[in-house]
Amino acid sequence: MRVPLAWLREYVELPVDPQRVADMLAQIGFPVDAIELRPVVTGVLVGRIAQLEKHPNADRLQVGKIDVGNGALLTIATAATNVALGQTIPVATIGAQLPHLKIERRKMRGVESEGMMVSAEELALPTEWFEDGIMQLDEALPPGTDVVEYFRLSEAVLDVDVTSNRVDALSILGLARELAAYQGTPLRAPEFGAFAPAASDAPGPRVSMDSPDCTRFVVQEFQNVRVAPSPAWMRIRLALAGQRPINNLVDISNYVMLETGQPLHFYDAAKIPDGHLIVRDAREGETLQTLDGEERELTPRDLVIASERGAEGLAGLMGGAASEVRESTTSILLESATFNGPRIRRTGARFALRSEASTRHEKTLPPVLSTWGAQRAAQLLRESGAKAGEPRVFGIAQPQTQEIAFDTRDIKRLLGFELTAQEIREYLDRLGFTVEPAGEQTLRVTPPLWRRDVTIAADVVEEVARMAGYDRIEGVIPAVAEHDISSNEYVLEGRIAATLSALGYDEVVTVALHGAQIFERMRRAGMEPTFQPVEVLNPLSEDQRYLRSALGPAHLEHLARLDTPARIFEIGHIFYRDEGQPLELPSAAFGFTAEPLQEPPWHDSHFLRLKSDAIALLRELTGRSDFEFAPDNRKGLHPGKTAAVLLDGREIASLGQIDPRLAKAFDLRLPAYGAWLYLERIPEFATPLYRPPSRYPSTYRDLALLCDVDTSAARVERVISGAIGDLCTAVRTFDEYRGAQVPEGKKSLAVRATMQRMDTTITDEEADAAIDRALASLRDELGITLRA
Amino acid sequence: MSELNTQLRELRERFDAAVAAAQDAQALDAARVAFLGRSGEVTLLRRGIGQLPAAERPSAGKEINAAVELMEAALQDAEAALQSREFEAELGMRIDVTFPAPPAALGAIHPLRRVTEDICRYFQRHGFAVVLGPEIEPEYYNFDALNIPADHPAREGFDSFFLTGNLLLRPHTSPMQIRTMQQHRPPVAVVVPGRCYRRDAVDARHHFQFHQIEGLLVDRGVHFGHLKGMLTGMCRELFGRDQQVRFRPSFFPFTEPSAEVDTTCPLCRASGSPCRMCGGSGWIELGGSGMVHPNVLRNMDYDPAEYSGWAFGFGVERMALVRYDIDDIRRFYENDPAFLKQLA
Ligand SMILES: [Zn+2]
Repeated sequence: MRVPLAWLREYVELPVDPQRVADMLAQIGFPVDAIELRPVVTGVLVGRIAQLEKHPNADRLQVGKIDVGNGALLTIATAATNVALGQTIPVATIGAQLPHLKIERRKMRGVESEGMMVSAEELALPTEWFEDGIMQLDEALPPGTDVVEYFRLSEAVLDVDVTSNRVDALSILGLARELAAYQGTPLRAPEFGAFAPAASDAPGPRVSMDSPDCTRFVVQEFQNVRVAPSPAWMRIRLALAGQRPINNLVDISNYVMLETGQPLHFYDAAKIPDGHLIVRDAREGETLQTLDGEERELTPRDLVIASERGAEGLAGLMGGAASEVRESTTSILLESATFNGPRIRRTGARFALRSEASTRHEKTLPPVLSTWGAQRAAQLLRESGAKAGEPRVFGIAQPQTQEIAFDTRDIKRLLGFELTAQEIREYLDRLGFTVEPAGEQTLRVTPPLWRRDVTIAADVVEEVARMAGYDRIEGVIPAVAEHDISSNEYVLEGRIAATLSALGYDEVVTVALHGAQIFERMRRAGMEPTFQPVEVLNPLSEDQRYLRSALGPAHLEHLARLDTPARIFEIGHIFYRDEGQPLELPSAAFGFTAEPLQEPPWHDSHFLRLKSDAIALLRELTGRSDFEFAPDNRKGLHPGKTAAVLLDGREIASLGQIDPRLAKAFDLRLPAYGAWLYLERIPEFATPLYRPPSRYPSTYRDLALLCDVDTSAARVERVISGAIGDLCTAVRTFDEYRGAQVPEGKKSLAVRATMQRMDTTITDEEADAAIDRALASLRDELGITLRA
Repeated sequence: MSELNTQLRELRERFDAAVAAAQDAQALDAARVAFLGRSGEVTLLRRGIGQLPAAERPSAGKEINAAVELMEAALQDAEAALQSREFEAELGMRIDVTFPAPPAALGAIHPLRRVTEDICRYFQRHGFAVVLGPEIEPEYYNFDALNIPADHPAREGFDSFFLTGNLLLRPHTSPMQIRTMQQHRPPVAVVVPGRCYRRDAVDARHHFQFHQIEGLLVDRGVHFGHLKGMLTGMCRELFGRDQQVRFRPSFFPFTEPSAEVDTTCPLCRASGSPCRMCGGSGWIELGGSGMVHPNVLRNMDYDPAEYSGWAFGFGVERMALVRYDIDDIRRFYENDPAFLKQLA
């Protein structure tokens, strides 16, 4: 909310420095987003045009004699076309400082000009909101008056943030009230005069309250209304507050709203039959032309203010064109009403109508504001010459707030510091609360009528804290008692990150929303997405319509962008639909791009590197090392270079080379390798137990085996280790060969079997016998022979 | 002069020549084997003692032993001299220690994780658990249970991405307050790092995806001062030991009283002049906090007369921007290797 400081100062004494005012507001919960300082303007006086003639040497100029008080007449030439004899205007005198120039004596086409007639622009007001040409001031202003001082144009404007619970403070008066309370200074509220509503059944305008969503409606008729521009002070004040001046009636309703917080609406009284307004649900199929010219289709969910002939306006949002105030209007009906905020908001959202008025109404205004709004409007309308009828109140006659039983010990209990009962009472009193003692530690606290947000003891604590100052809260470290809440998931993530970074992978955080381009790339690679993606119903753009169903695609895009060998990992959630329902799983993925190696096609060192990293990571996560790698088929991975990692028969990870077709579809130049973990299946860390090594020497035998190409190293190792039995401490394949040196369909594997006894030194005879058993088993089970 | 003496002298002369000629350990060893080895020349000489008259044998043995001792000593000296020559050669080498080292094969931890981990470590040290939660949440956890009923104007502040049904991408980590309190009775002491989403247009300070860290402490006797204590400690852990924390009144439906939390701007302090990060105010806004609203406690069947608690929710990106003096939030999701390596 834009708050001209000059306006605020009218109701409360404040420090000169705008920054200090801003700091105070922040202290009590109204942060100031910006302080708009006004440019320095001096030497601008009120002038009256005493003479006006055509310039002797220039058709487009006029020369005036301007009365600036004390009998002085200044000769000033102007090119403006809106000047006329007798007008009261601002005049910049010799030496005046304007935002972008300094006024000096000068000749205009041979005529000495002793100053400059001034437009809104020279006063740093929004020009498009004021008359073209020279600004027009009120006739009543005495010539010679300092314009900047009189209109307080040098005062800063604050942009104040008001939280949604404090609609009472969404006004100049509301903020003045808060500042007065905080400073302990008096609030100089404007004198509204008595509010003496007529009986609601007396003759005159009346309102049928046919919906519970309007709790209060003040209506008042005004006659002898004449639509005209507002006085300069009001136009200037509205403009500084960010409201465009329109005419005196519109301006008064805006002015009252900004000052009291209560939005108003004026109806042309001649257009409302019998002065009878009806607050009701709209009818199915009913239409209303709002004053922005839109024809709107209403439903019973919309609340309207109607006359007997039909809807006249959308409650709290916008009036109707039919009863709009026009130049010809001579009498009006004022509406100052309280609505159910959510209902106003819903209709506003449906029609995309948002205004200063609706942002107030949709927070449900305190009913008492409707009285203030009507009072202030009546006062300003009277000043403009209107004749006021008596106000009438429908709905809540006397607004009230609920008393709260307040235990003063709650201050210490919730804030940690102590205040005396007297301090508490003093603070609440300043804020307009009624406080009465009710027992040893208890106070009966009644919030002021405008504070509908204060309903429980904790609210009272906050009020007291605001006044005492949040700086009174002292920091203490709590002694947290034992509890059994587990951090396991977080610990797992930390281990993954620590291990993968130690293995040389950089952690990335990619965006979890993506567009259809991922699917298009997959289709280009001949792959249909396996999963049904989770879709956002209201994305900001098509690029962010889907939640990722894997971490990989974003990584491929990233690696393609880098276009140089890189190693990356990410931990994050993935999403897909399972029988229509969104499913969310934690995931971790790592991978790399690398230059292709010069090696036989049946050997892939990059794959082995990936596998080695996967083993290191999984070992760190599980405490186990008995992982089984099984050939697998996964969409997106090379069909011959994919493995599933199994632990206790459960698949806990997948890894392999990225399918070259997919890599190409992602514009990857380098071969890429990736692995991902199914985090929800990773078993809890199993602490390994120490097994003392044998104190006796071990021995080994290297075997060159000839086997079928399809026989896996793991299979061979299992057979060997099974045949050797307890003596076997390790079996490890360390070389592979395929090609001309071995028969078609065969490969050679070099395997080392290591043997050892726990109780004594193993003999060569024992070792040889064990190897013979192993060779026999290899021959019988797998048809494997020793390579000649 | 006996024949033995002559033989010994002649043998010594050849031995000395061999040792003197030896340029390395191998040659020395060859000399040792040739003269003093099991079937070396000295051994042959000793065999000759048996042919001497019995009376001469002892003195002959002595003479041979004395010669052997001298030869072994000479060998040791030669070895030592050789070793010291080798050391001299080795130690005379001068490399260029300024020659660039190859980069270590250590990966970078993302700065968002670093910040998160530092905060979590601080809270863990004080007895808090770290829990994680889902990013898709029903409205109940996002709003209703947090005292933000369907018609509440505050819902608008959470401009959320909606999915099917009543599900949405969480716009804050606060749903985990509810999930944690549903599963545990007080004391509840947790921090919750996690990813959140809001429909914010992307610019230098905003992104539709961001990370929050939530804190929640509920027990008997918990008050606002405990929050200030913990947050001050957290800021000191994160930004330096002189950090101060201040509260400003604010409004959140799930806390009462509520506060915005600011910490002193570490960048202004470091440079001694107003910076663009805090706009020269000297304070950095961290986020919202407050005492858990009694309605929230009641929703969890906690008696608000018996238990009290506080909660906070801060943006991790914001803290990382300040901590590393980064100009643009988008850097965190670009994952430029140079950016990551620099902050690792
Ligand atoms: Zn700063």
